[in-house]
Amino acid sequence: MNLNIHIRRLGSPQRTLVSDLKLEVPPGQVLTLMGPSGCGKSSVLAAIAGTLEAVAEGQSALGFEGQVLLGGQDVTRLPTARRGIGLIFQDDLLFAHLSVAENLLFAVPPGPIDVRKDQAEQALAEAGLAGYGDRDPATLSGGQRARVALMRALLARPRALLLDEPFSRLDAALRSQFRDFVFDHIRTAHIPAILVTHDHADISDPSRVVELAHAG
Amino acid sequence: MDPALRPVTRLRSRWPAVALLAVVFVPLLAVVLLALQSLADGVAWQALWTAPQTPTALALTLWTGLVSTVLAWWISAWLLAQGFVRQGLSGMTRALPAMLATPHAALAIGLVFLVAPSGWLLRAASPWLTGFEFPPPWPTTQDPWGLGLIVALVLKEVPFLLWTAASQLQRDDVRRRWQAEHSLAQTLGYGPSQAWWRVIWPQLAPRLLWPLMAVLAYGLTVVDMALVIGPASPPTLAVLAWQWLQDADLAVNAQGAAAGGLLGLLVLVNGLVWWRTSRRRPRWPNGRRGRLPSAMELPHTKRPVPNRAWYALVLVYAAILLALAVGSVAGVWPFPRLLPEAWTLQAWLGVWASAGTVTDTLSLGLASSLLSLLWCVAWLELAPRRWDSALRPLLYLPLVLPGVFWVVGLYGLVLHLHWEGRWPGLLLAHTTLVLPYVLLALSPAYLGFDPRYRSLAASLGHGRWHFLWRVKWPLLRRALAASAAVGFAVSVAQYLPTLYVGAGRWNTVTTEAVTLAAGAQRSLTGAYAWLQFVLPVLGFALAAWVGRPRRFTVTA
Repeated sequence: MNLNIHIRRLGSPQRTLVSDLKLEVPPGQVLTLMGPSGCGKSSVLAAIAGTLEAVAEGQSALGFEGQVLLGGQDVTRLPTARRGIGLIFQDDLLFAHLSVAENLLFAVPPGPIDVRKDQAEQALAEAGLAGYGDRDPATLSGGQRARVALMRALLARPRALLLDEPFSRLDAALRSQFRDFVFDHIRTAHIPAILVTHDHADISDPSRVVELAHAG
Repeated sequence: MDPALRPVTRLRSRWPAVALLAVVFVPLLAVVLLALQSLADGVAWQALWTAPQTPTALALTLWTGLVSTVLAWWISAWLLAQGFVRQGLSGMTRALPAMLATPHAALAIGLVFLVAPSGWLLRAASPWLTGFEFPPPWPTTQDPWGLGLIVALVLKEVPFLLWTAASQLQRDDVRRRWQAEHSLAQTLGYGPSQAWWRVIWPQLAPRLLWPLMAVLAYGLTVVDMALVIGPASPPTLAVLAWQWLQDADLAVNAQGAAAGGLLGLLVLVNGLVWWRTSRRRPRWPNGRRGRLPSAMELPHTKRPVPNRAWYALVLVYAAILLALAVGSVAGVWPFPRLLPEAWTLQAWLGVWASAGTVTDTLSLGLASSLLSLLWCVAWLELAPRRWDSALRPLLYLPLVLPGVFWVVGLYGLVLHLHWEGRWPGLLLAHTTLVLPYVLLALSPAYLGFDPRYRSLAASLGHGRWHFLWRVKWPLLRRALAASAAVGFAVSVAQYLPTLYVGAGRWNTVTTEAVTLAAGAQRSLTGAYAWLQFVLPVLGFALAAWVGRPRRFTVTA
């Protein structure tokens, strides 16, 4: 299932951030999107996920003209909840009012509770956090929280994954560890992914790198 | 050593804080002790228990207090959901100050003007729709079921809850985090409003616990609103207690004090029950996504809009204020006519003739709010943080204690000082009730002031006073002015303490409005109720002017 994006124009009425950008990502691959701060990298992800309005709050609203195709299906007009595109933020954004396991269950599709709990348990084990389910997310380390956030995004069975500088809050050692963890999971899930980063070390596939320039 | 760099934690510097503490806590504790003392009267409790009105009054109190609180809570939650999802919150918060400035009693009186059998609502529908040529004998005001009181309480408390919630939601860090979590929940397959109810609301609700407790306490113990629009025979327990307190018979007075104590107990028990139930952990998320919108409105075609229910609330407030204003200048006004046949300024001339009422209101409001502001600034500046946070519950005590309970203690204290029926006594009564609100309003800005400014000023060689006068207070001017205005509004709205401690010898626009509401002088009632609204609004306008941001003549 390929992810095809064509952004004709992205920006506020006054200012164009990105224009005429074409991206194509096959399943299991990670495309890296780079560029200076403020060039609109995060807004590109928001446009793909359909969460632009949340980005724009407080400033003048950002608009997006273009097309997002997922496995040939046009999802441009679908609300975020129907797109099946997962998003990993810079912050782990684990919900503070839910336990670690409940955070994961939040993402698991509805069904018999035992099956769902099993899925959450299994995800915890994969993240090396077996037995941590009843903990308060705040008691986890930064690396542990990042892994839970990724597992949560994957448990919702997304058809594509967007990553917005997911490694920038981690220190160097954790960073490379978590990077491998993420790329492995994307390959296993066999979904296309787009990664936004500042760091050249984060590039997974040198043949799939897009540099965004500062739009005057 | 430079005086500005001297460590502030020296013991010597604690004495002013101790003095400040004494100034407020001695009267505060005296009031509480004297009120408690009045409860140690077994005969009074016996009389309260056996009084024929007690059971019904108690039931009415629970019914009106709990139903209004639950309704206000869920209506606020729902409006917030709409506002958050459609990004209309900032539009909503713009109209809130005027609603908050409307005193409870004025709102109740205005509502009566609207829904009474001869009120505007029925006039608008008569006779073409209803066929009425005369006002019907309906119990639409002071209805025996307390429905009018519930509506009035909900109308008044929803803006308050929205305001406290908005002040949480508008903090930059919180807003950004919750916006991101809201988006994240949508990428996991939840629709915008599902995402609000499952992710944002469960995190916001616990932060609104104390405002909610204030709403609950108010709903259970309100007197002035209940006198105007609440059930009359029997009334709610708070009104009953108030009637007993004013009785000439001392034994009946004691019975009233006991009823006040019972109300305090009710607030405590209900508060605990609510707190316990709100702490129940949420069930395992069941993963159901609910109904999802089919297509998305593109962001640039969408304007941030508050929803219709919000506009309805704004409209009701506008109608109430208009009804008060028109009512105050209405002369002859036969029933089905929408507007008066004759207009008259007689009521306003009456207000002018007894101008003492207005000047007393002003003098009490200004003095109590300025005293409170001075104390709060000194306290926040001098008291160690630990003392402050430990003593807050005590300082906020007047907010949650029933008014009828509080005035008993106040009166006892004022008697000891021989200040009953005199201005200093009234000032004391008003200040004890104004101070917690000023503290509440001032704290976030004052405590949030960046401490690095102080170090910066010190590093430039400026002492503490120079720093306070030239840097800190000018920067906090807006918050200082606004909290004083809050204090003024609270003082203007005081009913029980003014009447009780003033021994009936002092009138303010509020006591006049509430007293007149029971009679038939519509225009005079309207005039005082309108003044009750206008004075606080003028206070807020003045505060906004004082706190206006500096205009720089040269712009980039």
